[in-house]
Amino acid sequence: MRYLPYILKHLRRNWMRTGSTIVAMSICIFLFCTLQTLIRAVTFNLKSANANILVMRHAVSLVFNLPIAYKERIASVPGVTRVGIANWFGGSRRPGEFRDFFPNFAIDDAFLEMYPEYIIPPDQEQAYRQDRRGCIIARKLSVERGWNIGDTFQLESFIPPYRVGRPFEFVVRAIYDADEKRHPGTVDNLMFFHYEYLYEMTNQRAGIGTYRIQIADPAQAGAISKAVDALFENSDAQTHTETEAAFRAGFVSLAGNLAYLLNAIGLAVTFTILLVTANTMSMAVRERRTEIAVLKTLGFPSGLVMGLILTESAALGALGGALALGLSSLAIGNLTKLPFIGDAVRGFPDLGLHPLVALLGFGLAVALGVLAGLIPAFLAFRARITDLLRSA
Amino acid sequence: MAIVDIEGVRKVYHRDSQEITVLDGINLRVPEGEFVALMGPSGSGKTTLLNLIAGIDRPTSGRVMVAGTDLSLLSEGALASWRSHNVGFIFQFYNLIPVLTAVENVELPLLLVRMSKAQRRERALTALRVVGLADRALHYPRQLSGGQEQRVAIARAIVTDPKVLVADEPTGDLDARSAQEILELMETLNKQFRKTIVMVTHDPRAAERAHVQRHLDKGVLTA
Ligand SMILES: Nc1ncnc2c1ncn2[C@@H]1O[C@H](COP(=O)(O)OP(=O)(O)OP(=O)(O)O)[C@@H](O)[C@H]1O
Ligand SMILES: [Mg+2]
Repeated sequence: MRYLPYILKHLRRNWMRTGSTIVAMSICIFLFCTLQTLIRAVTFNLKSANANILVMRHAVSLVFNLPIAYKERIASVPGVTRVGIANWFGGSRRPGEFRDFFPNFAIDDAFLEMYPEYIIPPDQEQAYRQDRRGCIIARKLSVERGWNIGDTFQLESFIPPYRVGRPFEFVVRAIYDADEKRHPGTVDNLMFFHYEYLYEMTNQRAGIGTYRIQIADPAQAGAISKAVDALFENSDAQTHTETEAAFRAGFVSLAGNLAYLLNAIGLAVTFTILLVTANTMSMAVRERRTEIAVLKTLGFPSGLVMGLILTESAALGALGGALALGLSSLAIGNLTKLPFIGDAVRGFPDLGLHPLVALLGFGLAVALGVLAGLIPAFLAFRARITDLLRSA
Repeated sequence: MAIVDIEGVRKVYHRDSQEITVLDGINLRVPEGEFVALMGPSGSGKTTLLNLIAGIDRPTSGRVMVAGTDLSLLSEGALASWRSHNVGFIFQFYNLIPVLTAVENVELPLLLVRMSKAQRRERALTALRVVGLADRALHYPRQLSGGQEQRVAIARAIVTDPKVLVADEPTGDLDARSAQEILELMETLNKQFRKTIVMVTHDPRAAERAHVQRHLDKGVLTA
């Protein structure tokens, strides 16, 4: 502690160099924190996947719908206990504009039976079932938008078959709470409405986006997936069935690949920053040869001299890290406002700088600082006083 | 008993395959309280000898006893600790730490000693008073003249109250008047504070201040 003023004064002397190193460091850590948060948001969804639910979609792509007639045939496969429907509606206040987007799905009643993690009061669920235009919204949506039971709002889809020349009108009939205890990770910003309504509005042109197939025994997931896909092997619309986790994983694999790429870039940046910081430190130590000789002459043990340099270097890292955390929490808070990236992360709940990510980022900054100071500190540790003085 | 007792000291450097004998069988005894001037042509080994006395370098062979300790018996760490208690080093170019104020520079050796912040500051200010610079305590080295910087450096050398002061051309970079002041200060330290001083110098007038003058030539003490 008594050496701290000494260290800080050194950092302050060459404030240009210190400052630019800190900024470089903070950009690196900022990238780390933001990317980790992005990846966390993307993988978050996977954790809440149910093991006993299969998702069936069109074999070619989610873009294509499946025939309604499949439902009965799927239900007839042994081991299948329930079949539900969920269509990604892609509705927003203005079509294609995702500024205040929330995920919305057209579902059937069976779907609700299969997902007990959306807790809905029985009377509200009753009211929802009785209203063709009724919808269920997350508590968070209700609070954020000020939508209460009985309120109406409109959404328009950007998906061509669902574009009918006028917006869909919905009445809030139920508000769900996510069952965080038994189903941690339940998404808490969704909206559901009747598939019937979608079917009607599109003049019966809407097919089925995904079938949700509940099975009795999760261990049979593979066998049943194969069995149901085999049913439609020779149909026009071939199917692809997988567990909910796999479905979501596939859904985010694009984002995952992006994360991988970004991580690789992050690693390269980190390495660059290590070199930048190491350069700063070795410059600082080289121009301080005489000073190091003086400290040693005064009786400072070599280990202490090394410690001072490492601490200075770690302080560079810590300052960069602190700046980065500030920037990150600011940026992550505004991530949803960005074009493109915003669309990707919008809909993920709890977007923010997680304490663990922050801790990791800060730790990385300090570690980078220490690492960068290691060589110059070791050289100072080893250098003999007489050599330092002679070459100064 | 001599506070500095050097016997049969040789210092040999190896450059490429060549052997360079810088000190060749030095015997030197300095009684406690003495003020010795070490003179000689450039390259004769004065700094090398001074470094041996100060315990910042080791001889190739021979014995260096200072303040009752055989320095060859000490490990690097023990030697560092010994230096902090027993010698004060004064450099030609002052070697103050530019980012620290005068008083912080003087405090530096005290950081190694267990004492409170206030005590440390008090001791440093006392040392600055001895060299007549108490009013410049908060100035940075670049705000001081060369002579003032050297006086701060002397305060730093005496703040731990070592028995021996070694000075390598302490006036070598100063104008005549400042040099005069520094020499007077060193005389005071010797007379009033009973410091043993070994001073390397090229300047005959500086050497006159000392009680004893020793001459080094090609690694051998000649007088
Ligand atoms: N580390 C070293 N490696 C090789 N040679 C050295 C080393 N240190 C000193 N020397 C040589 O030893 C000799 C004596 O050097 P030293 O610095 O002791 O001389 P000096 O009497 O102090 O000279 P000056 O008056 O110029 O300061 C010189 O020839 C120098 O080149
Ligand atoms: Mg010399």
